[in-house]
Amino acid sequence: MPLTSVLLLSMALFCIGVFGVLSRRNAIGILLGVELMANAVNINLVAFSRFQGGVVGQVFAVFAIALTVAEVVVGLALVILLYRSRKDVRVDEANALSG
Amino acid sequence: MTHWLSLIVAAPAVAALLLIAVPASARLLVRWVSLAGALVSLFGSIEVARQYDTVAGGLQLVESYPVVPSLGIHLTLAVDGWGVSLLLLTGIIIVAGVMATWTLKDREKEFYIFLLVLVAGVFGVFVSQDLFIFFLFYEIAVLPMYLLIGIWGSSQAVTEAGPFRYVWKVLDIGGKQYAAMKLTLMLLVGSAFILAAMFGLYVAAGSSSFDLAHLGSVKYDRTLQLWAFPFLWLGFGSLAGVFPFHTWSPDGHASAPTAVSMLHAGVLMKLGAFGIMRVGMVLLPEGALTWAPLVGGVAVVNIVYGALSAMSQKDLKYIIAYSSVSHMGIVLLGAATLTPNGWNGAVYQMFAHGIMTGLFFALVGLVYERAHTRLIGKMGGFARVMPGVAVFFTLAGLSSLGLPGTAGFVAELLVFLGAYQSAHSWWAIPAILGAFITAVYVLRAVRAIFWGKGPSREFSELSDARGTEWAALWILGLSLIAFGVWPDLILVFIDRTTPDYLLLVLAGGAP
Amino acid sequence: MIVLPPLVWALLALFCPLLAAIFIGLFARYSGRFSSWLSLAAVLTSLGAAITLLRAQLARPERFLEETVRWLPQGGETLAELGIRLDGTSITMLVVVTAVATLVQVFSLEYMQEESSHAFGRYFGYHSLFVFSMNLLVLAPNLLQLFLGWELVGLTSYLLIGFYWRKPSAARAAVKAFWMTKLADMGLVLGLVVLFTHSGGFSWTATLTPEVATWVSGLLFLAVMGKSAQFPLHVWLPDAMEGPTPVSALLHAATMVAAGVYLIVRTFPLFEQAPDTLTVMTYLGAFTALFAAVIAVVQTDIKKVLAYSTCSQLGYMIAALGAGSVMAGYFHLTTHACFKALLFLGAGAVIHAVHSNELSKMGGLSRSMKLTTVTFVIGALALAGVPGLAGFFSKDLILETLYEKRLWVPLGLLLAAAGLTAFYMGRVVLLAFFGEPRSRAAEHAHDGDAAMSAPLIALAVATVGVGYAASRFAALIGASYAFHVGPVGVLGTALGLGGLALAYMVYGSGAVRLESFALLAPVGRLARSGGVDRAWQYGFRRIALGIAAAVGFIDRYVIDGFMNFLGWGTIVLARRLRRLQTGNVSDYVLAVVVGTIALVAWGLYG
Repeated sequence: MPLTSVLLLSMALFCIGVFGVLSRRNAIGILLGVELMANAVNINLVAFSRFQGGVVGQVFAVFAIALTVAEVVVGLALVILLYRSRKDVRVDEANALSG
Repeated sequence: MTHWLSLIVAAPAVAALLLIAVPASARLLVRWVSLAGALVSLFGSIEVARQYDTVAGGLQLVESYPVVPSLGIHLTLAVDGWGVSLLLLTGIIIVAGVMATWTLKDREKEFYIFLLVLVAGVFGVFVSQDLFIFFLFYEIAVLPMYLLIGIWGSSQAVTEAGPFRYVWKVLDIGGKQYAAMKLTLMLLVGSAFILAAMFGLYVAAGSSSFDLAHLGSVKYDRTLQLWAFPFLWLGFGSLAGVFPFHTWSPDGHASAPTAVSMLHAGVLMKLGAFGIMRVGMVLLPEGALTWAPLVGGVAVVNIVYGALSAMSQKDLKYIIAYSSVSHMGIVLLGAATLTPNGWNGAVYQMFAHGIMTGLFFALVGLVYERAHTRLIGKMGGFARVMPGVAVFFTLAGLSSLGLPGTAGFVAELLVFLGAYQSAHSWWAIPAILGAFITAVYVLRAVRAIFWGKGPSREFSELSDARGTEWAALWILGLSLIAFGVWPDLILVFIDRTTPDYLLLVLAGGAP
Repeated sequence: MIVLPPLVWALLALFCPLLAAIFIGLFARYSGRFSSWLSLAAVLTSLGAAITLLRAQLARPERFLEETVRWLPQGGETLAELGIRLDGTSITMLVVVTAVATLVQVFSLEYMQEESSHAFGRYFGYHSLFVFSMNLLVLAPNLLQLFLGWELVGLTSYLLIGFYWRKPSAARAAVKAFWMTKLADMGLVLGLVVLFTHSGGFSWTATLTPEVATWVSGLLFLAVMGKSAQFPLHVWLPDAMEGPTPVSALLHAATMVAAGVYLIVRTFPLFEQAPDTLTVMTYLGAFTALFAAVIAVVQTDIKKVLAYSTCSQLGYMIAALGAGSVMAGYFHLTTHACFKALLFLGAGAVIHAVHSNELSKMGGLSRSMKLTTVTFVIGALALAGVPGLAGFFSKDLILETLYEKRLWVPLGLLLAAAGLTAFYMGRVVLLAFFGEPRSRAAEHAHDGDAAMSAPLIALAVATVGVGYAASRFAALIGASYAFHVGPVGVLGTALGLGGLALAYMVYGSGAVRLESFALLAPVGRLARSGGVDRAWQYGFRRIALGIAAAVGFIDRYVIDGFMNFLGWGTIVLARRLRRLQTGNVSDYVLAVVVGTIALVAWGLYG
């Protein structure tokens, strides 16, 4: 399996993530989009590690996954707080910072 | 290594720290701690003047502590003759200022904390020999002003909006927040210019040290000098009230509480002029020589324009504020002459005007506190109930119009001499005219406030000065006379240092 | 007789009044009596010292003494000095000043007694300060110190004119006097600066190039015009009569206004180098002499007559100095100090009795105020130039000087002024002291007590006697004097006597009615109009205040307006730009994505 295929896969995954983040109004959906983008990056890391030799990339990917978990924890906490205060998780409604 | 200079700078700062620990309800203690801090600085300044060897001259009482050695930043403190005289000025003004605001009623603790921090900055500027630290102290001196005016200032609809009512309303002109904001913004824009020029010099001098002596020993190329000097002139000049960047001064001084007006007009504006001379001219001789005609021309405009503006004002504080603009013009004119007499006169005028305007603002504060109005058209006959205030006001007025026997005369005479001896003799004529216009508006104000019939019944709370207010008035009034009768007390220091710096400028600027 | 070095006497004369002034200012103001005694003691000490110095000087007239100390440094060297110069010129003036000041203070003891204790003390405090300032000026060894004294006497003049500061007219008059003299003093400051720059010092013996000498002397003369009330800067002097009458006698007749003349006498070595200035002085002085005399004729206020008369006589002095005769000008200063102080104090006695300045409220005072009448008439005759009295000798000398120099136009003006002087003095004497009383107060008037009478007698004696001291006076100032009767002197005296006779015919016997001369009506109207004063007022109110108002407007709306515009513009712009912040997370993310893509594109292809 050539490197290009893997990169195409991760690119597709990343684009889906971006699309999700941009188009979703639900905060959880946006969070899922962000996760997809993060995992696209992880795939890249692992793929480059595999094709160039060495394990640094894989170690880094594992590290990133751990970080992503932490990020999800923070993100979901935010979503819960948002829900508690507004009874709603649609982000286009939460525009209190509008100028 | 002696520690007098760090003592002078630290005393107000330590007093401010102590004040944090003092409960706000202990109102008398708050005042005494502040006064103690101020007095330590004043006596320190007197001691420095006593120890300064006028035969040897140069920088004395040097102290140096590393701050960021890798960038060449050291906390280097030392005084020259100019510094000695300005330290004394600051000491006198802060002691009088604390005493004159003894009757303050609102959040005294915080007020005195900010005031003392500000003064520590002022002392720091006058003794710093490291440009970075100089600038740091400069900012410390400028910034507390925003809070001091914004919180403790007075708002009064003193200006008629005229055709620009809409803009006036949007900006809340006449309000204390407006004045505080305007002052801070204009001075910070000036600071940005200073910062740019400062780093320009630092890099051109090899990025190794901010030491003023080191920066002064480098001969900068002409291009740098020609852009950096106007930057410093504009930057420091905005604080010195250089036309047309003086407009923060009338609003700011009118809104500021008494002690802040005293300190700001009396000392802070001198920081600007001191910066132009000590940093701008001494470090950039070629720039100074090239731009001197502009600096002097603008100074002449300052003198006449400020005096005429003062003449047209109806609000007492505005009159005094514009008179500061006019008198700072005399300082700047003296600087621009690049002659020994002009420079002596410029520094002496910083001193004389500081005391004089300090006295003025102290008195205006007293009058305003009792009369609840600043419009001189409503006043009249006040000498009957406040004879002491009337006497001191007249004294301050006489000094501002340059009457012999007061400090103002010596300064003005020296600057006039310098102006006539400079390359632009005609400068002397508008400068002398400015002194005459000063006589017009000052005596008019004295007549309108203190003389004539009255006071009318609506002024029921008028009374003469009281307690510590007397002390403030006497300190300032006696200084005015003492330094007018015996100018050598101060001039001996100034005169020792002037030729050293002037020689640097004239030699460095020669092609 | 205490033997002390002259310098000590001079220092005593200088500093005793200053100490008195400081003491009164600090402690004694609430005890008026004590203040007055203190002030009097000080001025008597000064007078004693001055007389001692004069006696020593008369023995050796050519001696002079100069002691100075450094006042201002420049580069470690001396820039300016203060000190004392004792010579015939300064000692003579010192005696005049202290003598008149003593008499006036004695007179004031009674004249001002109705004032409150506080005001009484303040009055004598000012007087002490004045004597100090004047002595500082008189004893000056250089032009700078002379200027210090010059400004300080201006200050005391301001304070004393405004003594009744609750009266708006007095307050205005005080300020006006300060402004007018300060306006003229700009010339003196500039003159000092020019003199210093070109000669390296403030000495009046410097030798200058003709051009510089003309500038310096011209600038100095400008200040003299203000202080000595020469046309067109004379307008403050009549208004200065708002002050108490003894003040007018001392400051605005005998000494302070004569400081201008003294300045020229002192700095004559500079003026000598500038013939053009001298010419201007002669013509301007002569013109002022006549101009003020004409106005004096139509005044109804006794003090205003004397004030314009002072302008006129100062014009004589200036004209004499312009003609090159220090002796004539300075001698006239001395005699004028005696008889004009006498006249003012006499007028003061009258005002004190009648409680009015207006001639129309007086009349017939000779019956009840015998001593005042006699002394006033002596003064008036001296001013009119009646032979034998002091004014005759000095005025004769001035006319002779101009005659010798063949300055026909100024001489004609001065001769005309001489006739008019006699006429208006005759008018005042006749209207005030003779005829029928024209008010109740005038019927019940009476002479003052000893404190007011003694100075009148002393000054009357001086007015009679001082003219005979002309040759000793000349010796003191290093000039020569010999009395001789010349044609112009005879003419001047005849004009004076004629003026007196005409005054008698108009105001005494009523044989001549002025109304019958149609030609005089427009002159009278012009003299009453106060046109010069109105021109100054117009200049101040309309032009100066107008410019100030314009500058104030520009500052508020244009200069500051620009700053406000910047602030306002920032606010308006910010209001628009804030729309960019939608608060919608998706919008921000879109911006991030687009920005990233743009950056990558720029990195790849830029």
